Amino acid sequence: MKRAALGGAVGAALLLCWMGAGIRPAALVDPANLRSVGAFARGLFPPDLSPGFLRVVAEATIRTLGISVAGTLLSSVLGLLLGVLGTASLWRRGPLFEAQRPGPVLAALSLGARAAARFLRSVPDLVWALLFVVAFGLGPIAGTLALAVSYAGVLGRVYADLFEAVPEGPVLALHSAGASRLQLFVAAIWPQSAGSVTAYTLYSFECCVRSAAVLGLVGAGGIGAEINLSMRLFEYGQVTTLLMSFVVLVLAVDAFSRALRGRFRRNAVHGSGVLRDAVEVRPLRRGTRILWALLLVAAFAQAGFGSLAAPDVLSHLWRFAGQLFPPDLSRSFLASILTPLWQTVAISVMGTALGVVVGGALAMPATASWMLDPEASLRPLRALLYAASRTVLAVLRSIPELIWVLLCILAVGLGPFAGVLALGLHTAGVLGKLYAESLEEVPPDAVEELRGIGATGLQRLLWAAWPQARETLASYTLLRWDHNLRASTVVGLVGGGGIGLALYNAVQLGFYDRAATLVLLVFVLISVTDALADLLRRKPAQQAAPESALALVAEAG
Amino acid sequence: MSFDLQGVRVVYPGRAGPVQALDGVTLRIGGGERVAVLGPSGAGKSTLLRLLNATLRPTAGTLRIHGRDASALRGRDLRSLRRGIGTIFQHPSLVPPLTALENALCGGLASWSLWRSVRALVAPAPADVRVAATALATVGLAERASARADELSGGQQQRVAIARALVQDPPVILADEPFASLDPGLTAQLAELLFRVCEGRTMVAMMHDVQLALERFPRIVGLRAGQVQFDLPAREVTPGHLSQLYARECVG
Repeated sequence: MKRAALGGAVGAALLLCWMGAGIRPAALVDPANLRSVGAFARGLFPPDLSPGFLRVVAEATIRTLGISVAGTLLSSVLGLLLGVLGTASLWRRGPLFEAQRPGPVLAALSLGARAAARFLRSVPDLVWALLFVVAFGLGPIAGTLALAVSYAGVLGRVYADLFEAVPEGPVLALHSAGASRLQLFVAAIWPQSAGSVTAYTLYSFECCVRSAAVLGLVGAGGIGAEINLSMRLFEYGQVTTLLMSFVVLVLAVDAFSRALRGRFRRNAVHGSGVLRDAVEVRPLRRGTRILWALLLVAAFAQAGFGSLAAPDVLSHLWRFAGQLFPPDLSRSFLASILTPLWQTVAISVMGTALGVVVGGALAMPATASWMLDPEASLRPLRALLYAASRTVLAVLRSIPELIWVLLCILAVGLGPFAGVLALGLHTAGVLGKLYAESLEEVPPDAVEELRGIGATGLQRLLWAAWPQARETLASYTLLRWDHNLRASTVVGLVGGGGIGLALYNAVQLGFYDRAATLVLLVFVLISVTDALADLLRRKPAQQAAPESALALVAEAG
Repeated sequence: MSFDLQGVRVVYPGRAGPVQALDGVTLRIGGGERVAVLGPSGAGKSTLLRLLNATLRPTAGTLRIHGRDASALRGRDLRSLRRGIGTIFQHPSLVPPLTALENALCGGLASWSLWRSVRALVAPAPADVRVAATALATVGLAERASARADELSGGQQQRVAIARALVQDPPVILADEPFASLDPGLTAQLAELLFRVCEGRTMVAMMHDVQLALERFPRIVGLRAGQVQFDLPAREVTPGHLSQLYARECVG
């Protein structure tokens, strides 16, 4: 039977990954580990609120904010350049291309911009940060540049997709009136896409803030650096304060970004936050503009741009870049990284599987259409269960994977199992919320008919909501696995096993040619799975926004 | 199974102020009766149907189904009440990705345990499959059993809904304008089927087709603007009753 064969294959793959990811459930109940988790749990309260430490927290938080503002700004400038060059309808195909073909140099440049954007976004920001820490030394500048290049890759793709999606009538009209390509962009493409570009840049800002807090774990300054330090000093009360500050920062930035986006016409595709059409932007008043300019200057100062003025920066950078080449492609080295490579894949699969199981279990009580059914009995108990599961999901997803790694190391020790747990917990929070919302948002007609027949709430969920939502759920899960593969390449940087550990060791020991090989390998691995996920994921018909943008929004949400 | 409505009013919160759908309806339907409800669009027929299948509570007045006050019931009691009432809608909402057979199986949900309904989603018990397959054969859809519901035509979907009601096997079947969206040939065919299925059960149908209603139902209720205008044996319904029931609203 076909179904049995498929089930067997999936089971075998999971078993292989289970072994590959070094999963040892026994470690969870090991007395020594339980003691350290207990000490951690006891240490978390009370949070450290002494004035001296609060100042440290405030400085770290402002620094993180500065890093993300400067990183977003740089990434949008670089992304704009990559986006314009990468816009296929300008340089490589379509009616405009047919009407007047650009020279071969420009066409090649356009393909190159697409490829460069792909490379920049396929190497995780944490890996960029690790490299920039070596190139520029410990401190916020490494984090800022890491965000700048990795989000330039993301935005380059999103911008190009948006530019390609504008109605082509005005573009062709201007072209037949004799406008050059640059004029076409400025006069026809940009005005039609500026609103969406702004909105997606704001989404990427939200993502940047979350990333910026984590980059500190590899020495790039901000909240992450402080969390790392406090963990090493066993000052768990300080960790609580720092995490609270991080959550407040994220919530504040999300609220700010949402308020700014709210200035645009509200036209988001339901539930996803993806914009259906172009949006309008109102100009700012003069006083506001000056205020923004001042804040930007402050952000760049916080982001460590002062350190670029040091005399030997350039020569140091040059020397480091030289050591990266040529990458070490010797057979013995390549053979030695097969195991970590396989471990990385296994971590991502098992982490996603854990997230699906835990998130799925939490999603059911978090589904309002079932839990908050006014006709059900025991309503106060159900309301309590609903609130509890929603809260757990929110906590799980608001702590980034890499911070979960630090916490999971306490529970199971260094190694890939900690990486699996960390990915699983964060994924559970993300997927649980998405699952619950997808189940709530299925068309209600069939669900209501089953209510009329006398089916229980759970039966309606299983027989009417689940069959209608399962493809969406599968697509979210696949998207998340893609994301988790990225994350599993870096969990090793903080002790979670896989290829990240090999990279960390290579960098620490100064084998930069090996580090270069590993970075290339990460790039190849992620490009391949991106392509694979694109192939597997059937595109929903009603989806008007570019795929790349959807991923960005899913990340920010 | 019997229905007893006493001065039932239903008011919906509308965008331009509250909308009164039923205005003091008093009606008794006894076990085994066959009743057709006639009336122009907007008379409140669909609202009445939702009251009778206990998915809507009256705003005022009392609704007793089988002697129990339906608005006071919750949870398990409400479900067991609904289990005894099958409804066939004008546009049935089957679960689109499920097959015709699985949709027919849904009729059994209310009498299944949770475990049995989870199992049935993966691999239904052979006995349950037999019941559902027989129901599909009765409605003439045996060969479409494994087609997805959203691949079926409107008429076929309606027949699956009838099959689901057969699996549910309730003492009461409610029908909401069951033939309004079908062409005449299909109507005759489906009407035959529906009457056959309803043999030995209480049947209440909201009807569009006056002729069919007068021919096949012994009792006719005329509903207009949320009120019962007449409630008569079919042979006592005169053309005068009908023209009054469907008269255009006087302007002024």
